[in-house]
Amino acid sequence: MSSPLLGEFLRSRGVTRRDFLQFCTTTTALMGLSSTLVPRVATALAQARRPSVIWLPFQECTGCTESITRAHGSTLESLIFQGISLDYQHTLQAAAGDAAERARETAMKENWGRYLLIVDGSIPTGNKGFSTVAGLDNLSLLQEVARGAAAIVALGSCAAFGGIPAANPNPTGAVAVSDVVKDKPIINVSGCPPIPVVITGVLTQYLTFGKLPELDALGRPRSFYGQTIHDRCYRRPFYERGQFADSFDDEGARQGWCLYKLGCRGPTTHNACATVKWNDGTSFPIEAGHGCIGCSEPGFWDKGGFYQPLSTGHWGSARTVGIAVGVGAALGVASAALARKRQKDAEGA
Amino acid sequence: MNLLDFARGPALQWSVAIFIVGVLWRLLGVLLLRTRKDHSEPRNDAAWKGLRLIALRSWPRKEFLGGTAFGEVMGYAFHIGFLLTLFFFVPHVLFFADISRGLFGTDLHGLTGLSWPTLPNGVVMLLSAISIAALVAVLVHRVVNPVKRLISNFDDYFSWLVTIAPLVTGMAAFAHLGGWPYERLLAFHFLSAELLLVWFPFGKLMHAFTIFAARGSTGMLFERKGASL
Amino acid sequence: MTETTPTTRELDPLEFDKPRVSIRKPEHRFDTQGELPDAARVERAMNSFVRDFGRTAAVYMESCIHCGMCAEACHFYEVTQDPKYTPIWKLEPFKQAYKREYGPFAFVYRALNLKPKVTVDELQQWQHLLYDSCTVCGRCSLMCPMGIDIASLVSQARHGMFKAGLVPHELAAVTERAQREGSPLGATPKVFADRCEWLSDEHDVEITIDKPRAEVLCAMSSIEIMKYPESVVATARIMRHVGADWTFRLDGYEATNFGLLTGDAATQKTLTLKIIHAAVACGAKVVVLPECGHAYTALRWMGANMYGKPLPFKVMHIAEFLAEQVRAGKLRLRKVGKSATFHDPCQLVRRGGAIEAPREVLQALGVELREMYPTKGSNWCCGGGGGVVAIHRADELRHKVFKIKMEQIEETGAELPVTSCANCRQTFDDGQAHFKWDKTMHSLLELVADNLVEDEQ
Repeated sequence: MSSPLLGEFLRSRGVTRRDFLQFCTTTTALMGLSSTLVPRVATALAQARRPSVIWLPFQECTGCTESITRAHGSTLESLIFQGISLDYQHTLQAAAGDAAERARETAMKENWGRYLLIVDGSIPTGNKGFSTVAGLDNLSLLQEVARGAAAIVALGSCAAFGGIPAANPNPTGAVAVSDVVKDKPIINVSGCPPIPVVITGVLTQYLTFGKLPELDALGRPRSFYGQTIHDRCYRRPFYERGQFADSFDDEGARQGWCLYKLGCRGPTTHNACATVKWNDGTSFPIEAGHGCIGCSEPGFWDKGGFYQPLSTGHWGSARTVGIAVGVGAALGVASAALARKRQKDAEGA
Repeated sequence: MNLLDFARGPALQWSVAIFIVGVLWRLLGVLLLRTRKDHSEPRNDAAWKGLRLIALRSWPRKEFLGGTAFGEVMGYAFHIGFLLTLFFFVPHVLFFADISRGLFGTDLHGLTGLSWPTLPNGVVMLLSAISIAALVAVLVHRVVNPVKRLISNFDDYFSWLVTIAPLVTGMAAFAHLGGWPYERLLAFHFLSAELLLVWFPFGKLMHAFTIFAARGSTGMLFERKGASL
Repeated sequence: MTETTPTTRELDPLEFDKPRVSIRKPEHRFDTQGELPDAARVERAMNSFVRDFGRTAAVYMESCIHCGMCAEACHFYEVTQDPKYTPIWKLEPFKQAYKREYGPFAFVYRALNLKPKVTVDELQQWQHLLYDSCTVCGRCSLMCPMGIDIASLVSQARHGMFKAGLVPHELAAVTERAQREGSPLGATPKVFADRCEWLSDEHDVEITIDKPRAEVLCAMSSIEIMKYPESVVATARIMRHVGADWTFRLDGYEATNFGLLTGDAATQKTLTLKIIHAAVACGAKVVVLPECGHAYTALRWMGANMYGKPLPFKVMHIAEFLAEQVRAGKLRLRKVGKSATFHDPCQLVRRGGAIEAPREVLQALGVELREMYPTKGSNWCCGGGGGVVAIHRADELRHKVFKIKMEQIEETGAELPVTSCANCRQTFDDGQAHFKWDKTMHSLLELVADNLVEDEQ
C-alpha cells in the first residue's frame, strides 16, 4: 500500500495550508524548538511519507488510546493519526480477528525495518496465558514485532515502566518494554495516561528529524519531561511562603494554596501537566484541587500513600520501635552488668 | 528502588532503629553503673534543688565570660537555628506528625485540637543559614584555637560533619540547588539526616541527653555541700 | 629525667627555713616509686581506675564535648596560655581507659581496638599535668557548660597514678612520712606535745591535750604546728574565751591529708580514721578543723564515706566555728579599723560551701571588707593547693600564677589580706618572698585571737 505524502493527504482532507502551518507553529513551540524551525517542520511534515505505525496493546486499560483520541476541538491530532498509516490499532481499526492480524503481518513485511512500533500496557512475564492476542502471548508478540521496528514508543507508564500491573505484588510479573527489547531505540512517553499533545509532539519531532528526541535518564523526551510539576506549578509561590491546604476543601484549599501537606508529588514528578495542562489546556489535577500523584514516574503506585506528604517516610512502625527499645535496653543493662562485674573483679584483685 | 525510595524507606527505618538502640544502650549502660551512698552530713537537705544547675549552667558566670563568650554565642546561634529549623519547618512537622500518629495513634492536633506551630519558610531558611554560619565559625575556631586543637579528635570533626550536612542538604533541596533533580537533593537530605541519627549515640552528640545527667549530678552534689553552683 | 626508686631510700629531709614547708629540693628526683615493670604500672593504674569508677564519674566521662572552656577558668592556663594545661586534658589517658574498660561500648572498643591501651609514657607525661599543675581548686568544674566536676576526676585519676607508682617525688616523700610518723611535715605526736607545752608556757594559755571526755575535739595542720604555731595558741585562746569544753588528742590531731593529695586512698583513710576514732574515743560532739582547706574536704565531705556510715559528730572548719560563736554572741572582739580583703580558700569556699562564714567573722571584727574581683566561689586559687606548693619543680609555674593574686589584692587597695587556710598562707608567704611584695597574708583565726576582748583576770 503505497501512501501519498502527508502534505497531499492533509490537503485532500480539506486542511488549508494556513491551518497546517498553524499546527506546525504550535507543535514546534511545544517541542521547545526555536520558531525559526517552523518552516523546516512544515516542509518535513508535508513531505513525510506516511510511515507505517503498528500499535500493540498489552496489559493496558486503553486509557492511553482514550487520552490521545480526546482531541477536543482539535481534529488535527486525529487527522495526523489518520495521516500516519496506523496499520494496526485494536480500538481504532475497523478490522478484527484474522483480518486484523493479516493487516499487521502485511504492514510488517512491506515496511520491515522502517515501521514505528507503539506499545501501550505492560508485558506479563509470568504465566503466558495472562495476556494474549490471537493466541500469541504478549512477550513473544513484542519480541517478534520489535525485530522489524525502526523505533519503539512505549506509550503510558505501563509500557514505559510497568505501571499499575507492576505495582506491588506484581502478580503477573509485569515488565516495561525496555525490560524486553534491548536493541531498538525506545522513547518512553510516560503518564497515566500521557497528555495528548505530548504524544503528537513526540511523533512530530520524530517525523521531522528522523531520529529520537533528546531523552532523559528514564528515556523520556526532555522537552516534555525535563521539568518537574513543582517547578512550573502556578501554586509554587504558596509553597515558598508556606501557605498550605491542610485538608480538602478547607480555607487554604479554597484559597488555592499549595497541596504539599495533602501529599502532592509535584516536586518529584516530571511531566508537562503544569504548563500544557489537560483537555486542551483546561486544567490539571493540582488546579482542580488534588495533589499530583506522580503518574509519569516509575513505581508511582508503590511510593507510599498519595496523601502522605513527601517529607514523610517509612520510619518503621510501633512494632519496630518497640523492638529497638527492647534491644537497646537489653544491651544497656548488659553492658552495665559487665562493667559492674569487672569492677567487682578488680576490687577482689 | 531509586535513591529517594531507599532514603525514605529502608535507610530511614534502619537509622531510626539504630538511633533508638544506641541511645538506650549508652544511656542505660552508664546510668545503671554503681553509685555509692554519701554518708556525709549535708549542709542543705533538699539536694534536688541543685537540679537548677541544669538551667544555671546554660550561661557562664560573668567572671568566666571573657574567653568563653565567642563559644557561647556561636553555640547558641547554631543550636537555636538548628532546633527551630528541625521542629518548626512545615515538612519536618509533617514528618514528626506522621511518626506520632504511627506510634501513638494520634498527633498534637488529634489530642488537643491545637496545631503544632510552624515558621514561615523564609524565616526557616534564614535560621538555617545562621546555623550553618555558626557551625563554620566554630570549626574554624576549633582548628585555630590551640586549646581546642589539642583536645579535639575524630569525634569532634565527624560530629560536625554529620550536623552540618542535613542543614546544607536541606537548604539545597528547598532551593532546588543548581536545578539538579529534586529527588536526588531530597534523597541526600534524608540520607544526611539518617547519617546523623546513626552516628548520634556513638559520638559527642549524645551530650543532648548526658547534659541533664551531668549537670544534674553536679548540681545535686554541690547543692548538698552548699558549694558554689 | 627520673629513675625508679631503689627499694630502700633515705628519708628526704624537711626544710623549715623557707617560706613554704616542704622537703629539701631533691638532687635526684624519684618521680616513680617501686620496682615495677611498665606493663604492671599501667595495669595497676587502670585497675584502680575501674575500681574507683561509679555512675557519676562515668556520666562525666561521657559528657565532655571538647569545648575547651575549662581552660579559661584555670589559673595555670591563664598565666601560660599553654593548651596542655586545659583541665579536661588532664584526664585524657583516663578518658581513653574509661571508654575502653568501663563504658557501655567498652567491649566494642576493645574488640576493634578503637582506643589504644594507655602507655606508661603517657602516664609519666601526665604526672606533671595531674600534680604539678592542678590544685584541685574546682574552678574548671564551675565553668564547664556540661557541669562536669573535673576536679573530682583529677582526684580519682591520682588514685590510679599512685597505684602505678607515678607520684611526684615530694608528695611521695611526705605521704610516706605521714603514714609512718603521723605527720607529713615532722609534727609527730611527740613534737606536737612538746610544742604545745612550750607554747602554753610562752603564751600563758592552757593547751589541753588528751582530755578523756570533751565536747569539742580540735585538730591542727602540720603547717601550723611547724610554721605558724601562733595558730595553735590562737585556737586555745578562742576555745577558752568562748568557754568550750575542748581538747587536742595525740591519737588524732593531724588534719592535713596527704593521702588525699597524693591519691593514696589507703593512707587517706588511715589518716581520716585517726581523727574519727579520737573523736569517738572522747565522745566529742563537734570536731573543729584548723585553717586548712583540704582538711575540710577530707573530713567534712569525705570522712563519713571513709568511716562507712554517718559520723557521730558535727564537723566544722574553725571559720564556721567562729561564725557560730559570733551569731551566739560569744565572741567579744575589738574592732580592727582597717580595710581588709578575703582570699577564699578553694576547698573551704568554692568546693566546701562555707562561703559566708569567714565574712561573718570579718564583719564582727569590724574591718572594712573590700571584696576582690572575682570573689567567693569564683575567686582565683592561690596556686599552692592540692600539693603543688610542696613540689619544687612546679615553683616557677606557681609563681606565675601568684601574680594573679597579687594583682587582685592590689586592686582592692586593702591593707589586710586575710585567709583561712595555712596552705594558702604559706603559698602567699612564698610568693611574697619571691616577688618582694609588701603585703603579708594574715590568718583569720589569728586575727580573731589577737583581737579578743578578755575580761581582766
